[in-house]
Amino acid sequence: MVHDFTYPSVYFAYLFFALMFGLAVYFFIRSKHDGYWGERGEDAKYQMFEDDDTHRRVP
Amino acid sequence: MQPQFSKAEVAHAPEGALVHDDATAKWFLVSSVAYFFIVGIIAVLIAAKFVWPDLMGTMSWLTYGRLRPLHVNGMLFGWLLAADMGLAYYVIPRLCGVKLWSEKLGLATAALWNVIILGAVVTLLAGLNQGWEYAELPWYLDILVVVAWIMFGLNIFLTVATRKHQAMYVTIWYTMGCILWTAFVYLTGNFAVLFTTGTNQANLNWMYVHNAVGLIFTPIGLAIAYYFIPRASNTPLHSHKLSMVGFWSLAFVYVWTGAHHMIHGPISQWLQTIAIAFSVMLLIPVWAVVYNLFATMKGQWHQLRESVPLKFLLSGVVFYLLTCFQGPMHSLRTVSAIVSKTDWIPGHAHMAVLGCFSFFAIAGTYFAVPRIWGKPLHSQALANWSYWMLMIGGLGFFTTLWLGGFWQGWQWNNWSIPFIDTVIALRPIWIVRFVSGILMFIGIVMFAYNILATAMGANEEAAA
Repeated sequence: MVHDFTYPSVYFAYLFFALMFGLAVYFFIRSKHDGYWGERGEDAKYQMFEDDDTHRRVP
Repeated sequence: MQPQFSKAEVAHAPEGALVHDDATAKWFLVSSVAYFFIVGIIAVLIAAKFVWPDLMGTMSWLTYGRLRPLHVNGMLFGWLLAADMGLAYYVIPRLCGVKLWSEKLGLATAALWNVIILGAVVTLLAGLNQGWEYAELPWYLDILVVVAWIMFGLNIFLTVATRKHQAMYVTIWYTMGCILWTAFVYLTGNFAVLFTTGTNQANLNWMYVHNAVGLIFTPIGLAIAYYFIPRASNTPLHSHKLSMVGFWSLAFVYVWTGAHHMIHGPISQWLQTIAIAFSVMLLIPVWAVVYNLFATMKGQWHQLRESVPLKFLLSGVVFYLLTCFQGPMHSLRTVSAIVSKTDWIPGHAHMAVLGCFSFFAIAGTYFAVPRIWGKPLHSQALANWSYWMLMIGGLGFFTTLWLGGFWQGWQWNNWSIPFIDTVIALRPIWIVRFVSGILMFIGIVMFAYNILATAMGANEEAAA
C-alpha cells in the first residue's frame, strides 16, 4: 500500500510558517510595548559602551 | 558600571569586575578556523576538477559528486556557523553584562558539533547523501544537529534571560531570531522533505536552501556586524531604531522568497509571483542595514587604514549590498530566464557566504581571539595580507562567474548550440575561477595560521 505524505508534510510546513508569523507579530507588538520605538529607543546602543570597555584594551 | 574582562586578563581586573571564562567561544573558534583551512583544500580540489575533470582518477570518494557536498556542508556548518556560534558565545554575555549561563553546556555543544562535522566528512565521502541541496547529511546527523542547536539556543536564551538591562541591543535580537528561525528552517528542510515527493519536495527544498542563507546566516552574520563595527571603530551605532526596522522587515519578508529558485519551473505562477514580489521587498531590510552601518562610520573611515577587522567588516557590508541587490534582480522572470542554474548562481552564493558573512566572521575572530587569549595578534602584516588575498581572489571569483554565467545562459538559450560546446566554451572561466580559488585559499591559510599562532602563544615563544 502506497502512502503519500505530501499534503500532511506541506501543511506541517505551513503550520511552521503560521507559528513563526504569529511569533513575529507578537514580539513586534511586544517590542513597541517595551519602548524600542519610543524616546528611549536609542539607549541600547550606548549601554554596550558603558558596560564594557574591552574594545579600548588592546592586548 | 561593572568592568568586563576575559579570563586571560584577570590579573589586571579590578575587584568586582565581571570575568568571562570564554572556554566555549575558544573551542568553537579554534575548531571552525581549522575546518576553514581543511575544507579550503577541498574547495581548491573541486575548482581544479572543473579545469581537469580527470584529476585524481576514478576513486569514488574523490569524485566531484562526493567532494562538492563536503565543501558546501564543511564551509557552511564546519566553518561559518561554528565561527558564528563561537562569536555569539563571546558577544552575548558581554552585551548582557553577565556570564554565559553554562560553560559546561557550551563545551558539550562544541564537542557535539565537532562530532557532527567529523561525521559529515566520513558519511559524505562514503557517498551517504540524502541528495538535497544543503541538506545532504544523513538523518542521524540531522538529529544530532537539532540536539546541538537546542543546547546552543538554551544557553543563549538563558544568558539573555539573566541580563542586567531590560533593553536589548540589536545583536541580541538577531541572534535570538537566528536561533528560532533556524529551528523552523532546519526542521522543514531536513525532515518535512522526507515525506514529500516531486514538485512539492523541490519547492520545500528550495525554501530551505534560500532560508538557510536568509534566516540562518544572515541574522547571525548581521548580529556580528552590528556588534563588531561599533566595537572595532569605538563609535556607537548610527540608529538603533533603524536597526529594528531592518530586523522586523527581514522577519516579515524573507521567509517567502525561496520559490524564486523555481521560476519558469513546474510550480504555479502565483507562487512564483509571490516569491518575486517578496524578493524585491528584501531591498527594504538590506538598505536599512547598509545605511545604518555606513552612517555609523561617518567621520571614522580613516580607521580602515589601520584596522584589519574594520577592513573585513566594511568590505562585507559592501558585498552584502551587492549580493542583496543581485538576489531581487535575478528573481525577475526575464533575468532568471538567462542566469538560472548557470555559473552566475555560485558567483552570487559565494559573494553572500564568503564575501559577506565569512568576512564578518573573520573580522570578529581577528577582534575576539587576541582579547580572549589576552595576547596581541601574532602578525598584523599577515592579517593585512590575508585580507587582500581573500579580497582579490574573491573579486576574481565573483566577477568571473557572473560574466561566465551570463555567457553560459545566453548559450543555453540558443538551441542551435550543442550542450557540450557550452561546457567546453567555459573552460577559460573555470581557469580564472581556479586561480582565484588559489588566492582565496592562501588568504585562508594566512588567517588560520595567524589565529592559531595567536592562540598558541607563538609571540611569547619568540620573545622567550
